[in-house]
Amino acid sequence: MADAAMEQLPLPTSLAEVEALIRALYQPNPPETISKIQEVLHRLQRSPEGWQLAQSLISHREDNIRFYAALTLIIKLNRDTAGLGEDDAKGLLENLIGWVIQSLADGAANFVIKKLCTALVTYFMHFSHLWPNCIRHFIYCLDLGHGAPIDSLDDALGTDILVTKLDRQKLRLATWFAASLVEEVGKTDMTAPKFVQVHGRLVKNGSDVVCLLARGFSPPPDSPELKIQGEALSCFQVWILYAQRASPNPELVAPLRQLVGAAINCFADEDLFQPTAELFTDALGNYSSFFTDEHYDTLAALFESPWAAERYQRIIHGNHHEEGISFGLLMLAYGDAKVQDLMHSTDSRSQGFLVRLSGLLAADGYLVGDDTIFVPALEFWSTFIETMIDTTYSDEEAARDWRPYAEQHLKAVVMKCWCKIQWPPAEIFAEWDSTERVAFGDARKDVTDMLQSVFTLEGTSLVSFFAGLFLQALAAQSWAELEASAFCLGALSDCISDEATYDHELSKIFASPFFDLLGQAQGPIPLRLRQTGLALIERYCEYFERNAQYLPNALNLLFAAVGDSVLGGPSARSISTLCSSCRSILTGEAGAFIRHYQTIRSSQVLDSLAEERIVLSIASIIQAIQDETQTLGMFEELYTILKRDFELAVQLKAEPSLLNLQNPDFLRGLDPPNPQSIPPTEEIALQIALRSMRCLSSMAKGMQDVKEYLVDIDSEPQSQSANSRLVGLQENIMRVLVEVQRVFNTSGEVVEIICNIFRAGFSETQPGPFVFPPEVVTDYFVQQQFETPRVGTLLSTACSFVGSLYRGPKVYVPAQLTRLLPWVISILQTLPEPEADTEISLNGITFVDKLMSKYPDVLFQPHHAPLVEFFFLFSIKVLDGTEPLPKGAAAEFWANFITLKPPNPALQQTVSSAMNHLGPLLAASLVRNIGGHAARSELDKLCEPLKKLVTTRPEAQAWLQSSLLASPVGGDAGAALPFPGAERVGVEERVGFVKRVVG
Amino acid sequence: MSLCQNRLQEERKQWRKDHPFGFYARPQKNAQGVLDLKVWECGIPGKEKTIWEGGLFKLVVTFPDEYPTKPPKCKFVPPLFHPNVYPSGTVCLSILNEEEAWKPAITIKQILLGVQDLLNDPNPESPAQAEAYNMFKKDRAQYERRVKQIVRENAAP
Repeated sequence: MADAAMEQLPLPTSLAEVEALIRALYQPNPPETISKIQEVLHRLQRSPEGWQLAQSLISHREDNIRFYAALTLIIKLNRDTAGLGEDDAKGLLENLIGWVIQSLADGAANFVIKKLCTALVTYFMHFSHLWPNCIRHFIYCLDLGHGAPIDSLDDALGTDILVTKLDRQKLRLATWFAASLVEEVGKTDMTAPKFVQVHGRLVKNGSDVVCLLARGFSPPPDSPELKIQGEALSCFQVWILYAQRASPNPELVAPLRQLVGAAINCFADEDLFQPTAELFTDALGNYSSFFTDEHYDTLAALFESPWAAERYQRIIHGNHHEEGISFGLLMLAYGDAKVQDLMHSTDSRSQGFLVRLSGLLAADGYLVGDDTIFVPALEFWSTFIETMIDTTYSDEEAARDWRPYAEQHLKAVVMKCWCKIQWPPAEIFAEWDSTERVAFGDARKDVTDMLQSVFTLEGTSLVSFFAGLFLQALAAQSWAELEASAFCLGALSDCISDEATYDHELSKIFASPFFDLLGQAQGPIPLRLRQTGLALIERYCEYFERNAQYLPNALNLLFAAVGDSVLGGPSARSISTLCSSCRSILTGEAGAFIRHYQTIRSSQVLDSLAEERIVLSIASIIQAIQDETQTLGMFEELYTILKRDFELAVQLKAEPSLLNLQNPDFLRGLDPPNPQSIPPTEEIALQIALRSMRCLSSMAKGMQDVKEYLVDIDSEPQSQSANSRLVGLQENIMRVLVEVQRVFNTSGEVVEIICNIFRAGFSETQPGPFVFPPEVVTDYFVQQQFETPRVGTLLSTACSFVGSLYRGPKVYVPAQLTRLLPWVISILQTLPEPEADTEISLNGITFVDKLMSKYPDVLFQPHHAPLVEFFFLFSIKVLDGTEPLPKGAAAEFWANFITLKPPNPALQQTVSSAMNHLGPLLAASLVRNIGGHAARSELDKLCEPLKKLVTTRPEAQAWLQSSLLASPVGGDAGAALPFPGAERVGVEERVGFVKRVVG
Repeated sequence: MSLCQNRLQEERKQWRKDHPFGFYARPQKNAQGVLDLKVWECGIPGKEKTIWEGGLFKLVVTFPDEYPTKPPKCKFVPPLFHPNVYPSGTVCLSILNEEEAWKPAITIKQILLGVQDLLNDPNPESPAQAEAYNMFKKDRAQYERRVKQIVRENAAP
């Protein structure tokens, strides 16, 4: 069967066979049959007989066959006209036009006639020099009723008269051609040499097109059932679009503008309203300079007419899905195009128009499912406001006149948006699908953006406005309005939160009874409003910093919501934001918060992320306590809670029979919280440990200081006055970490979290429970084996550790590096091959590079020699490899090594002799890479060591040359070529390359 | 107005008219509250039916003066755990590379959709961070657990 499918059909031998094939092509057939027919017809079309075939079939009585003939003509025009002489080409055009006219006369289907128009357009693309006045000539032929020689056009009447002689059928045909012409030519590049002249000639047809369309807009009275104004509108639209692309081109734009009045008249015809509105919306939106002041006046007058008033009412009160919103979009497009003028004009027409535009924000129905005009209307108003901001600041003097008017509109806009973004009743919301819900949320975000812009202009008054609405709604217990007011106030928080100027207004809100209501567990406040209310607290955390009297109440509210399944997550986030930024005010509350946390924990299992945030919050308060003893006391209290979890996890792992899923302490180990089946006890134990490890990591983050301190890196280490309680705590934490890792020794996550805990301490400059002494950190690292999960992450943490050592007192550094280096290299040595683990190779190389940059003496200590030797060869192998990340690090390492200048002469000698030994190997690797082994994106990095080599080492030329000229050993083709494809590059070219690189 | 500003105005207009589900993209405001069209704050949601579903990741898109001749720079803030995101947060994607697949016709919508596709369909040929790349290659189960954790921490509201 497969072979049969591949077989080609023989070429047909008679017209009848061709017709049969075409018919079969348009009938339902299996895909393989269709493709076989297509293939044979293609061959036929492309054969020299194609022309004849088209000619024979073009007058066929069946439309499908005629269509196929037209298609064949297009293919022939595109493929086989290069050799056509001028006379033949002119003859061909006469025939083509004749066929089009004939098809119209004998009632061919529209799709056939349109395809023939496309054939004419194709002809124009190839022979525009022979047919420059194509529109006029085509109209002339239509009038004659047959194809006429191009030259005979000289004697013809003016185009404006010729069009009056055409009936509606012929006018429509000419309009199709004019539209297809500009569409097809418009698809080509105007600036390409091949098409420059085609476009030039097309433009010259503009005035003829205008004659044609003018007639199209007021056609002769024959066959009134044939409406051709719609065709004229869409043709006009594509010509405007083209004129925009070709602009500035007055030769085209000026005549086209004459048609605007006729097009405006089409609004009055109910059937033509839709395409007319589309045309104007499109042109106003994309090419507003096309219209003249007069046009704008006409449109403005139209918008004031009773007809427009009726259309407007249908947008405001009608059904957007059934009736559409075209009229509204048209108004908005006009508004957009004239936004500057509308803003500056204080006349009643402009003002009335703006009132109606703001009215579009208050159409009936809910966003976005019912009311589809709100979002585009809001977009207009956002533009209006942005224009106001720009203009106000650029010319404050002039703004005095128009600004009061504009501000009135802003008030209306703000008020209407406030109404529109109110949540619907729950039963209506429940009916919305997810798209509608998201779109509603998006529209609210757009309102947020708009309000922030209004704030730029209005400042305090906007805050007072919403505060007023808030209090009114609260008094009336109108929850949806209250929610919208709180939402709008929240939207302004980015603008006002850090300025005390507005605190007076905000205090009205935060001192209001609303927050008492919010605190009542079974109170009247609906869920949505509770969410917005709690979010409001978070958004104004800087306010609470300045007005600490409201803070405890706010936090109590948030803590009360932590256990809630919906509000828990956001509340925990708010708590952490508030506690972190108000930490110094809250220090007295640390104990209370710890107890709060303990109480919640003992009664329920919190969402793990929420719990991490709460722990972080409490830790950040503890961090701010001034008195060290008190800090450590609080810290211990919180830490002890977590420590018990670790102990429990370890015990459970050892004795699975302890599991008791009635106890919240064990339930903490279920992830997800309600699994379909209970996981193995070992897994539960691990989850208990992981969960608390993450909390411990959050504690470490919370304990980070927000202030910065200067460090004197040359200072002597403080004579060990470290607080013994702190030392004890640190030892305890380390013991716990090591123990958890030992018990859960296959878990990569445990290692990852330990690394995060370390990192949190690395950035600190003041002592703290997680700021471990350097030797303790080093002790931890050097005990880790290659088999430890996530050892690559451990190496990257070791790199961060080196960075933190460099920021601290110098005196600690060499001892740690001396111990870490052998450990890092031993891990690299255990790798089965250099690319077996990218993370290990990358971080191993980065570590050595970092060490070498400041402490080359540590690297070249005599007893490190075998390690260092291994590392050099390792990094060259990585450079030779294909893993981009370690390869990049190796290139950087070598670039640094080549330019390494140790201060001490003995060390200089060591480095130099190492380079003498390694130079040729490095050169060979670079040659291989740059010669084609490396990817294009790696070359920048690989050029660095090459540049350094060439500029600092006199031997570079010799090394590179001998690498380039190296021959495969023992004739072993391929394996040892100096670079890929070397066999095709001659010796001279290779030597020449080196000269260019070195020279 | 410069070509860059013009194009960005147009991009903004198009985005407002039509943008993909769950995404957001808006120019940042400067200190005076005036929009800075050259820096956009965007949100990329994880695709449905992937491990990234439910997450919303903040991306800052910075347009150079030469835009659209040169591509914008896309940076996840905070940096994202992903094989093709540099430790700095910058996204490594062929359509954002002037020397690869960048074309001036590429719209912001296409860029953001491209970054969304990249989330669940990393390109192991162009690793940008070792951690995610290595875990993606060597321990897919742990990679997925990690991604799910990140999704929880960056849950869409």
